[in-house]
Amino acid sequence: MNASGDAADVTIGDCAARPTGLLGNMPATAAFLADLGLNFMWVRLARLEGNAFLWEHRDYDELDQVERHRLHIPLHTNSSAFLVTGGTKVHMAGGRIWRLTPTYAHGVCNLLGPDRIHLIADVYADDTYRRLARRPALHPAVAEPLPAADQTTLAERLETARNMATLGYTEAAERMLLRLFYTYALPEGTAYDLIAELHTSLGDMEAATRWTAAKRRLLALTA
Amino acid sequence: MPTLQLAEITQANRPAQLPLLSKLADILATSPAVTHLMVRGSLAHGTADRLSDVDFVVGVHDAQLPVFIEALDTLMSVEAGALLPGWRDTIVADLGGLGMVFLVPDDGRLHQIDLYLAPASRIPRLRETVSTAVILDREPAPAATPDIAVAESFAAAFLARPRTCTELLIEHLVLAVLLHKRIKRGQRFVAYSEWHRLHTATKDLVKTALAPASQFWGWYQLREEIAVTPIGRACLGDLDAAISGPAIPEAADVNGAIERVLALVERACPQALDNLHDAVTAYRTYQELV
Repeated sequence: MNASGDAADVTIGDCAARPTGLLGNMPATAAFLADLGLNFMWVRLARLEGNAFLWEHRDYDELDQVERHRLHIPLHTNSSAFLVTGGTKVHMAGGRIWRLTPTYAHGVCNLLGPDRIHLIADVYADDTYRRLARRPALHPAVAEPLPAADQTTLAERLETARNMATLGYTEAAERMLLRLFYTYALPEGTAYDLIAELHTSLGDMEAATRWTAAKRRLLALTA
Repeated sequence: MPTLQLAEITQANRPAQLPLLSKLADILATSPAVTHLMVRGSLAHGTADRLSDVDFVVGVHDAQLPVFIEALDTLMSVEAGALLPGWRDTIVADLGGLGMVFLVPDDGRLHQIDLYLAPASRIPRLRETVSTAVILDREPAPAATPDIAVAESFAAAFLARPRTCTELLIEHLVLAVLLHKRIKRGQRFVAYSEWHRLHTATKDLVKTALAPASQFWGWYQLREEIAVTPIGRACLGDLDAAISGPAIPEAADVNGAIERVLALVERACPQALDNLHDAVTAYRTYQELV
């Protein structure tokens, strides 16, 4: 469901969501959404393949006028697919509706596969939503704090990245550092800082500047 | 003469592994340290089936072989999505380099990726003895004698290093993938060989976990060294169960062997599973999907 009703339209924005032709071929999903009775802004199927990542970022920053929420309904998942926010790892298991507040910095990964498929619904807050969300619960066992990374560990990882970059595997080195967000509880933007530091140590100031700008854009930093 | 439309048939009959081969070749060739990239085995000869592995020979500048090998697990994990660290291949012939086997998910199933990493100085001799299809030849300058010595010394030390419990666990998981392939193809003799190799790896795992300083070679004095504790007796019970099975396994025997060795690891050397729990879960999932 989206603004235009065209399934190929993927730019998310405020709207009264219309069913796409794709939903017409998914009667069970259509019935499920209708049963929820929510005020949908956007509803989509999201497939995250194995070894795929959404790096640390914020969403919704440009959409701050109306209260809205992002709901995840896992259809197919595995234990190596999880979300990280605030240094905590959450595997969104099936059988639940999960609410994410995407204005908090977060990242999503599917480390090993198979494919993770979620139904993701951005909904406007109304009485129906408030009834659905009146007893939110997060079982302590579900939210797993990631271990902190001390300076020695980060230095070792940076050295590994430097060796890879020296071999010519620069993008692999960058991705290796970005993945630290999913292994350790890091202060916001640390992975991007490490990449900038990598490029600075390699003498590539243009790349270092590019990654510093990417951090500001992805994390919607104004300061 | 009419023009025949053969592109669609050609595409339909290309090996299913070709996109993965291409992706891996791109990954490896990114580094200027890689001097040669060759494909060997069934994909090089046009005899591959849907179960065939992807077999590369990777030539690396002699001086850079150590740092390349040390970066390989990270490279294959980050860029190729390898499920596990590479298994140090003890089956492959010694061609002056090192064989590493990775399990890489692609298109919903696990693929066996064999990388034979050889110093560039050994490639000319290797090409005389092994039939390969060359996909990259950077025609490197001859290696300097000190660099050749660095590569030889590194390779010898790497191969001589005793395997850890984690490496032996990975050996089991890789051998099980090979065995399922042999069973599907009806390759009884090779299945027999690899099944015995699996049992030997189980024996090695028990000894590494419980008698790492053992002075006895092979299967000798196992009971005397291992069966001195309840954990040891339980592990020898697992080993006895393993070797008491059929000489040529069925698929269920292989699956049973893996579950048995995972329980053995939990009991005798649980640290071997550190950071591998998700990988083992994914491994089981992919094996069920086959």
